[in-house]
Amino acid sequence: MGERPGEAMSRAGGEPARRVPSLPAAVARRIGTGAVTLLLVTWVVFALCLLVPGDAVSVEGGADALGRRLPPERVAELRALYHLDESLPRQYGLWLRDVARGNLGRSFYDRRPVVEKLSERLGITLTLNLLSLALAVVLAVPLGAAAAWRPGSHVDRVAGVVTYALYAVPVFWAGLLLQLAFAARLDWLPLFGLQSPGARHLGALHGLVDQAAHLVLPVVCLSYGGLAYLSRFVRATLVESLHGDAVRAARARGLPVRRVLFFHAFRQAAVPMLTLAGFLIPGLLGGSVIVETVFALPGLGTLFVDAVFQRDVPVIMGMTLLSAAATLAGIVVADLAYAVFDPRIRRG
Amino acid sequence: MTPPGPWSAVISFLRTTVIGIAAALASGVACAPAPGPAIGDGAVRAGLYADPQTLSLLGKNDTNSEIIARLVTDSLVQYDARLELQPRLATAWETSPDGRTVTFHLRPGVRWHDGAPLTASDVVFSVEKARDPATDSKSYMSSFQNLVRIEALDPLTVAAEYATASADFLEGWALPIIPQHLAGLEPDLLSSDFARHPVGCGPFKFVRHDPGREIVLEANRDYWDGEPRIDAISFSIVPDERTAYQALLKGDLHVIGVPPDIWAEARASPEADRLARFVYYKLTVWYVAWNGNGLFADPGVRRAMVLALDRETFIENVLAGLGRPAVSTYHPDSMWANPEIVPLPYDPAEAGRLMDAAGFRDRDGDGVRERDGRPFAFTLLMPASPQEISSRMAAWLQQSVAQIGARMEIETLEWGAFQERRGAGQFDAVMSMLTFSPIPDQFELYHSSAAEGGFNFFGLSDPEVDRLLERGRESFDDRERLEIYGALQRRLFDLQPLGCLFHLATPVLHDPRLHGLEPSPIDYWRVTPGPRAWRWESVPAKP
Amino acid sequence: MASLRAGLGLVGGLGVLALAAPIVATDHAWVARSGPDGWSSPLLRGLVGTPAAVPAGLEEPILEAPIPYSPEELDLERVFEAPSAAHWLGTDGLGRDVASRVVHGGRASLAVGFLAALLALGVGLPLGAVAGYRGGWADAVISRGVEAVLCFPTLLLALAMLAMAPRWLAGLPDVARIAIVVGITGWIPIARYLRGEFLRIRGSDMVAAARASGAGHARLVIRHILPSSLAPVLVTAAFAVGAAILLEAALSFIGLGVRPPTPTWGGMLTEARVQVHRCWWLALFPGAALFLAVFGCNLLGEGIRDRLDPRSRAG
Repeated sequence: MGERPGEAMSRAGGEPARRVPSLPAAVARRIGTGAVTLLLVTWVVFALCLLVPGDAVSVEGGADALGRRLPPERVAELRALYHLDESLPRQYGLWLRDVARGNLGRSFYDRRPVVEKLSERLGITLTLNLLSLALAVVLAVPLGAAAAWRPGSHVDRVAGVVTYALYAVPVFWAGLLLQLAFAARLDWLPLFGLQSPGARHLGALHGLVDQAAHLVLPVVCLSYGGLAYLSRFVRATLVESLHGDAVRAARARGLPVRRVLFFHAFRQAAVPMLTLAGFLIPGLLGGSVIVETVFALPGLGTLFVDAVFQRDVPVIMGMTLLSAAATLAGIVVADLAYAVFDPRIRRG
Repeated sequence: MTPPGPWSAVISFLRTTVIGIAAALASGVACAPAPGPAIGDGAVRAGLYADPQTLSLLGKNDTNSEIIARLVTDSLVQYDARLELQPRLATAWETSPDGRTVTFHLRPGVRWHDGAPLTASDVVFSVEKARDPATDSKSYMSSFQNLVRIEALDPLTVAAEYATASADFLEGWALPIIPQHLAGLEPDLLSSDFARHPVGCGPFKFVRHDPGREIVLEANRDYWDGEPRIDAISFSIVPDERTAYQALLKGDLHVIGVPPDIWAEARASPEADRLARFVYYKLTVWYVAWNGNGLFADPGVRRAMVLALDRETFIENVLAGLGRPAVSTYHPDSMWANPEIVPLPYDPAEAGRLMDAAGFRDRDGDGVRERDGRPFAFTLLMPASPQEISSRMAAWLQQSVAQIGARMEIETLEWGAFQERRGAGQFDAVMSMLTFSPIPDQFELYHSSAAEGGFNFFGLSDPEVDRLLERGRESFDDRERLEIYGALQRRLFDLQPLGCLFHLATPVLHDPRLHGLEPSPIDYWRVTPGPRAWRWESVPAKP
Repeated sequence: MASLRAGLGLVGGLGVLALAAPIVATDHAWVARSGPDGWSSPLLRGLVGTPAAVPAGLEEPILEAPIPYSPEELDLERVFEAPSAAHWLGTDGLGRDVASRVVHGGRASLAVGFLAALLALGVGLPLGAVAGYRGGWADAVISRGVEAVLCFPTLLLALAMLAMAPRWLAGLPDVARIAIVVGITGWIPIARYLRGEFLRIRGSDMVAAARASGAGHARLVIRHILPSSLAPVLVTAAFAVGAAILLEAALSFIGLGVRPPTPTWGGMLTEARVQVHRCWWLALFPGAALFLAVFGCNLLGEGIRDRLDPRSRAG
């Protein structure tokens, strides 16, 4: 599903070019609308959390234990602890007030500060996702470029078939197969977790290498699915520019292949790739829940899934806020970068 | 002629990447510490499927928190493998003539891990904390509901007074005791510093907790009952059971509980041959509860439903033998179970006769019975469970009752939603698992008054059941109570408000060099002596 | 061309199999002899839902379905059997025939895929088209809406859809509910892509020429824009189906997929994870079916793009 480059914000050829609004004004306006969107999204999520049947007090345990029956008065006392007996707008107001003070509240599940729970997992999730994005890009770009160089050729077809085949394998299965092959059978890599037991006694460098070894399988697992989309995107982006006039002229002048690729074709492709980056951010923060579960990595994805099942409203809201803010920021930055760098607008 | 194209660029790209990954692999393999322990290590690595909700030792009551609590600190009494309460921190106790006051005598010379002595004020503090809603400790809140007064008579004596006397009061005193001088520093226990670094008086000391990754405990060399023979216990958090099993095979973990499918796979797989294994039956029962109005108003119909189930074959073929047919919500190995009651056999003919007697016959030949023109069709409501066994049970139920002319649909709901529907009575039949405690009093399950505030969601209202439950609460003589509860079980078996299906066994796989694990209805962690008695093979057992 | 044919073949074949599932894999015989000279079709009776004219025991099957098992038929004596003559693809943990479940599983999986893609297109196409063609404030509003939905946690929505049971929601079958969840989250990339396409089409010479010759909006849309946009729409539709099928599998891993007893490929794969050593057939066949379906969808999309979209060929 490639997006055509250079179209997202350009005017149609033939219409008079409009003056692009100044950068600070555009930023301010986007931040303003972004804040409104954030408020709206958090309100809807909050309402949804509380309208779903069951709450943090009633879902505890996930199984019935006779020894834990409490009379309704005591259950009401427990509910009051978490302000669950108050009205929806009031609870939302309480949450907003906490956020304004920089405090995301305490988890209903274990009473720990939400900020703490998020920050201890943020590093792992970001590392995992950024590394897999990097790996996917590193593999997809040359694949896409090779495919775009001669569309319809052998290389193009094989690249397409291989990446599509990879895409069609569900992540939890790929994880299991990778574990069986590399961790169980061949014993080259660790099976789960972030560190080997006893890793605390390793030196700094060895510890780092140990952690890296633990990340290899999860990163591979997370990145193979995106190869298809990314390489086809690169291919689509490059096909037109590679066969456009500027590049043909460069090739006719006898410039080496590498120069042609890097200086002309990729420069044109860089900007649409930026816009793509903006839209990939939501996946960065929560999209890895399956890999986290299979490889026992304590990341934000599993935190969110667990919070949803436990009706842990503060954690759900905290994660939504984090993810939504990051998404909006990413989109705004991508759009503004586009506005700044798009050659067409510059000219106009 | 065309230029060589970007082939060279592509190839050099890929080559660098592959070399980079290979280098990482090689150095990782070379430098990573060996995963399995040398046996001199002395540590036991166990797998947990989730983080404990709290390390405060007293709050929240989920299984994992309770496991940690039992290891890090002690209680006045604790259950042993025969479901009897053994004295631990309390050496003796007396009840007053009217049964409402109990006086405990504490063991002298017990010290907290920081060296301070354990006193009666710690016990009083623990009980008061347990009753505080802010601690969110439902099971202790519920056992001490009836408490009126508690005080420390002297540093080694505690007196507690209840509003009404009860023969089962002792169970509540299995609560973990926490040190007042450390846990009382902040008003809210769950968010306090103590909840991050718990200090107890138990056989193991808390070392550290990496959330989502592991919890490490080390042996308490000064433990009053003798030091444990293993040096440390570390719990790795592994949410996925398949991954945990692989880790056990590889040696990364030493002991895990497994689901029946993995048990069956371990039985058939040569790599798992060397593993030691055992099963135990927890205090749980899988049941189907019928809505007392409508289709299931007739006890004969309820009985017929259970008669249609070939439980033995299901246990043998599907559960890999890991189960027993259940007759009641009492553990079959406990002293309270009525041994004279045998499980209903598989008898579809008799089931058919009972359905006929209730007026349900198949008059139009479509395979489904009707009465007054309405077919015998109902929906079974069940909670979505990560264990796949419940959906298999439901499918089996569906097919079994189809054979006697009933049509069953299955509706799976997420747990929270399931509870709401069940509590509101909006169901025909529900299937779920129930955990009960070792005490025989099941008032909140079966008494007619429990239909409102208790767990009697299926609407049972039988005068004889009520009477037996009330008498059971008032009696203090074990022999008399045995009779009463035996009669209760007989009456419930005849009425069948709950069709008790199975007691499922919990299989455990562990490293064969680890000895001393003891199966019991309380799981192998929380029983006494439990992990205190575990040892590695090379350490000689105490005489 | 090869992609198009391969894709069509795979998706079409699996689709036909799924549609024909009640005929191909069923325990009702196609033709049975009832009585000395009576023939009847238990299958037809079962499909149409008429009560049995002849009691089942008195019928003697003459022609049975190629897979003579229903997906719900238990056989506790033959649990976890490897593929054999009686059960071509083996049996699962309850003795149910895997071949029958794979065939019927295709119905749910493909239904979710197509419904979700339809929904995503139904929402994404008009929104993307309006944003791209009209531009201006419509574009701005829609873009803000897209951002808002992007920020929304879809897992919560999935849980809410499955757990809350307002009347209209509870009456829907699971397939529809999952399709709604997947579709509601999947329309964004479609809308973005189509917006770009419509922008490009609007700016193309052809449209400029038509506008210059005085064509009104309607004529413009029908004559020029729709045919040009057909290719990208079809391409996105094909890819969307594949993505939706994979998403259902992921949801069933978390526990929010189509619930038992309805078989789906994703659900079967999740269950099979635990015993992959012993019972390889439980994973291989649903996995292969899932793989072929998604792969086929991608090939189909690629093939359509090659065929109808001249820009992706060499200039």
